[in-house]
Amino acid sequence: MPSPSDLDALQRQVRRLAPEPAARLDSPYWISNELYAALRHVLHDVGGQPDAPVAYEDKEEADWELRTYVLCEVLAWRGVWNAEMRRRAENDLGETLYLGLPYYARWITVAAKMLVDKGLISVSELADRIDDVRARMEAGS
Amino acid sequence: VRRFEIGDRVTVREATTLFHHRTQAYTRGRTGVVVEHRPEWLIPEDEAWQREDGRVEPFYVVRFRQRDLWPGYTGLELDTLETEVAEGWLVPATEVAQ
Repeated sequence: MPSPSDLDALQRQVRRLAPEPAARLDSPYWISNELYAALRHVLHDVGGQPDAPVAYEDKEEADWELRTYVLCEVLAWRGVWNAEMRRRAENDLGETLYLGLPYYARWITVAAKMLVDKGLISVSELADRIDDVRARMEAGS
Repeated sequence: VRRFEIGDRVTVREATTLFHHRTQAYTRGRTGVVVEHRPEWLIPEDEAWQREDGRVEPFYVVRFRQRDLWPGYTGLELDTLETEVAEGWLVPATEVAQ
């Protein structure tokens, strides 16, 4: 149970994470066709957007990342989804989550969401399981 | 039956896109050359929703000149970019090749 100050800190951090828009939108009454086209733009289609170079990091996959990859492939092999559904689900996370999560955290997030969407697990079942694992880790086993 | 052969000049259609697709905005309305045939596959617009009646189309690798894609491109004239496009997004190029 978070204390009121924990909640305040969480909400402040969430607010800080909201993308800083050049044009702030707040459910406008009407929008132009040009703005609608921009709003419809698929998140992963970044080619041609102005940006600055980022440092290249030659990093090996961690165990959880490889397990995430295999899990997603096995779900596809069992016919539960496919790679294009995963990419769509990643785009549908929205910019803050898409850019905020590590690459494979994005995968595991949308895999979990898809299992919930399809009714294969319930969201509280998953949350309870996460709490179980957290309790076990905090107990140091 | 494939509609385009290697070497054909093709233009990417400027069609409306909704929700999910793999046709980069910078290619739409641009003209390039088919340089490779790729296997038939479900088009992303259908595969992304796991449609049982998903449409299968031949794919092509299309080569564009960078200076045709980017206004004010300052690189070499011979610089190119290749990307994969489903047949339904392509029409025969009408303008005269330069």
